[in-house]
Amino acid sequence: MKMSEQKSGSQNVLRLMVCEMAHLSRPDGSATTFQGDTCVMTSVYGPTEVRMAKEQIDRTTVEVVYKPKSGLPSCAEKSLENIICNTCENILLGNAHPRSAINITVQEVQDSGSFTACCINCCCLALLDAGIGMKCTMAAVNCCIDNEENIIVDPTRKEEEQSQAVLTFAFDSKDKNIITVITKGKYSQQQFQKCLVLCRDASDSVFKFYRETMEKKLSKT
Amino acid sequence: MAADVKTAQPLQYYRKFIEKDVRPDERTLEEFRPTVLNIGCVTTAEGSALVKLGNTTVMCGIKAEIASPKTEEPKKGYIVPNVELGPLCSILFRPGPPGDQAQRLSQFTNDVITHSCCINKEDLCIVPGKYVWVLYCDMVCLNYDGNISDACVLALLAALKNTSLPKVVWDEDTETIETDHNTTTQLNIICEPVSSTFSIFDNEVLLVDPTVEEESLSTGEVTIVTIDDKICMIRKPGGSPLTPQQLDLCINRSFIRSQEVIRLIQETLNSVDR
Amino acid sequence: MAGIELLSDQGFRVDGRKANELRRIQCRLGVFTQADGSAYIEQGNTKILAAVYGPHEIRGSRSKALHDKVLVNCQYSMATFSTGERKRRPRGDRKSKEMTMHLQQTFDAAILTSLYPRSQIDIFVEVLQSDGGNYCASVNAATLALIDAGIPLKDYVCACSASFVNDKPIMDISYLEESSGGAELIVATLPKSEQIVFLEMNSRLHEDNLSHVLDMAVKGCKDIHDVLDQAVREHVGEVAAISGLE
Repeated sequence: MKMSEQKSGSQNVLRLMVCEMAHLSRPDGSATTFQGDTCVMTSVYGPTEVRMAKEQIDRTTVEVVYKPKSGLPSCAEKSLENIICNTCENILLGNAHPRSAINITVQEVQDSGSFTACCINCCCLALLDAGIGMKCTMAAVNCCIDNEENIIVDPTRKEEEQSQAVLTFAFDSKDKNIITVITKGKYSQQQFQKCLVLCRDASDSVFKFYRETMEKKLSKT
Repeated sequence: MAADVKTAQPLQYYRKFIEKDVRPDERTLEEFRPTVLNIGCVTTAEGSALVKLGNTTVMCGIKAEIASPKTEEPKKGYIVPNVELGPLCSILFRPGPPGDQAQRLSQFTNDVITHSCCINKEDLCIVPGKYVWVLYCDMVCLNYDGNISDACVLALLAALKNTSLPKVVWDEDTETIETDHNTTTQLNIICEPVSSTFSIFDNEVLLVDPTVEEESLSTGEVTIVTIDDKICMIRKPGGSPLTPQQLDLCINRSFIRSQEVIRLIQETLNSVDR
Repeated sequence: MAGIELLSDQGFRVDGRKANELRRIQCRLGVFTQADGSAYIEQGNTKILAAVYGPHEIRGSRSKALHDKVLVNCQYSMATFSTGERKRRPRGDRKSKEMTMHLQQTFDAAILTSLYPRSQIDIFVEVLQSDGGNYCASVNAATLALIDAGIPLKDYVCACSASFVNDKPIMDISYLEESSGGAELIVATLPKSEQIVFLEMNSRLHEDNLSHVLDMAVKGCKDIHDVLDQAVREHVGEVAAISGLE
C-alpha cells in the first residue's frame, strides 16, 4: 500500500508508508513498516506463559523489548519500551487473556525521522497480524515545529534535528482521543493545539492504510 | 469500618470520595500537596536541595568533577542526572541495581534538562577541548508516596540554583589546572522548568499530584513540564485516552502550578541568603 | 599530620570542643511514613537516615530463614554526594559491605530475635553527609528507628568513638581527627548493663593507654544514651498526645 509522497512545501501529507506482514515464521504475528526511509520491525508472541512475579490475575501482562540498531540498551531505550508498553496495554482486550503475557519485540532498522510514531504503528500492525483481540486500533503521527514556526507533519530526521520541538501523538480509532503524547522541545499552548489538530487529521490516512493493508493480506490467503 | 473497605475494595472506597469532588486526604481534585523546600542542606556537595511534596521526600546532591569533553562537542560540559529508588523509601523496591522505574526517571530528568536548556553547557567549559565540568546530579528518594517525577524535577532545579563551582585557573606554561575552592561562582540558570503530574482515575477523572495509593489505582498518567508560559515537555505514555479539552485543562493547571513553585524557590533562596 | 594541632595546650580541639565533649546531636523519630520505623540523626556534620521495615516475611531466598530466630538484614549506603570526593559506588564496595556486616552483628545481639522466628527485619541506613563517626551515628540512628518501629530490644545500643592525642584520650572524633593517623577506637554498648556489643580499633595504641581510651568511649556511649532517651521520650509524648492517650 502506497501513499502520496511528501512534497516540499506541503505540510499535511504523510510519507510513503509500506508494510509487510507475517514474513517471520516463528512469531505469532510480525510486521515490518516503512514510513519514508524509517523502518521498524516488530514481532509479537502471545498470549503465552508469564513469569510468576509478573502475573496479573485479571488481565494480560504486556512486555516490550526494544532493540536499538547498535549498542547496548540503556535508559533511553527503557523509556521507549515503557511508552510502547503502556500504549499497547490500553488498546488490547486485557481481560480476555488473564494470567498470560504478550511479548512484543521492536527492532530498529533505520531511523530517518518520525521514529516513535513508526514504532507504535508497527506494533499495532503486528498485533493485528497476530490476531489478538483489541478494543480499537491506534495510529501515531509525528510532527515538528521548525525555527520559522511552521508545523511539519511526519518530518525527516534532518527536519527533526533542526526543529525547536518534536511532538508525537497516538490516537485511537473510536473517538480519535489521545492515547499517548510525547514531546521534546519548547512550544506554546497554541502551537500545541495546532499540532494536535493537524496530527489528528493526518491519522485518518494511517487508519486507511491499516484497512488497505489488512484487505490485501486477507485477499491473498 | 472505613479502613476495612479501604483494604478490601480500594477502588470503591476512592469512587465514593471522588463522586463528591474530594479525596480521602481532604484535598480537592486539583490541589497539590503542601510543598516544603530546603536548599543547601548538604555541605559536602556543590549544591543540594531537599523537597517534601506531602510525604514524598527527595534529596538531590550535585557534585562537580573535572573531565575531558566529548570530541563532537569540545566546548560543552555535561550534566549527568541519576535517580535512586532504594528499599529505604518503600517496600515496593528491592535492593540491587536500578530497576525500570528508576531508569525511566533518570531518563526523564535528563530529557527535562536537555530540552529545557536551563543550563548553557558552554558555561561549564574550562579549557575548550581539554577540561570541562561534569555535574553529577544524584537524586535519592527517601520516602516514596507518589508523584516522584515532580519532586525530582523540583529538587534538581533547586539544587542547581544552589550550585556554585570553584574557580579553576589554567596555567598554559605548565599545562596544569589549579582549583581555588575559596572563590566560587554561582551557576547560571537560564530558565526554570516545573513539572506537574496528573493521574487518570477510572478513565475519566483527572487527579492532580497522586499519592502512591492513587497511583496504584490509576488508569493512566500525564506529566507536563512548563517553563514560564511555554510548554517544555508533555509525557502521556499510554493509559486511558484523553480528549483535547481534558489535556487543555491539565496544561492550564500546570501553568498555575509553575508560578507557585517558582515563587516558593525564590522565597527559599532569599531566606537562605539572609 | 604537621600544621594542624588536634588538641591545643588549653585543651581545645579543632572544632572548639574539649577532649571529653560530644558533638552536637540532633535527632528525630518517625520522619517517614512508608517505613515501619524511621529516624534521622545529625552528629556534628554527619547526617544519617535510618529506616526499619519489619518484622515481615522473608524476601528473596527462603533458604536463609532461621527456624528459631529472626533474620536481621542490613544495608548501609552512602549517597554519592555525601563525601568530599564523589563516591562512585554507593553500596557494594568493600567498605560498605564491611559496615553492613558490622551493623548486622551489632543488632543481632541487641534485638530479641527469638520472638520472630522465620521472619525478617530490614534495617536500611543512608548517609547523607559524612564527617567522621559514620558507624557510630548509623548505630544510633538505627536504634532510634527500631524503637520507632516498636521492635523489642534488650536495651538501647549506643556507639561512640574515641582516640588518643597528645597523651590524652578524646571522645567522638570527626573526619579530620580520623584521618590524622592516630588510633581510633569504636565501641557500641548496651548502656544500662555496660556490656560491649561491638568493638573495633584501628592503627596503633599502647596497651597501657587502652583502658583510658575505652573508658572514654564507654562514657561517650552513656552520654549519647541520655540524649537518645530524651528524644524518644519527647517523641512518645507527642505521639501519645496526638492519638489521645495519656
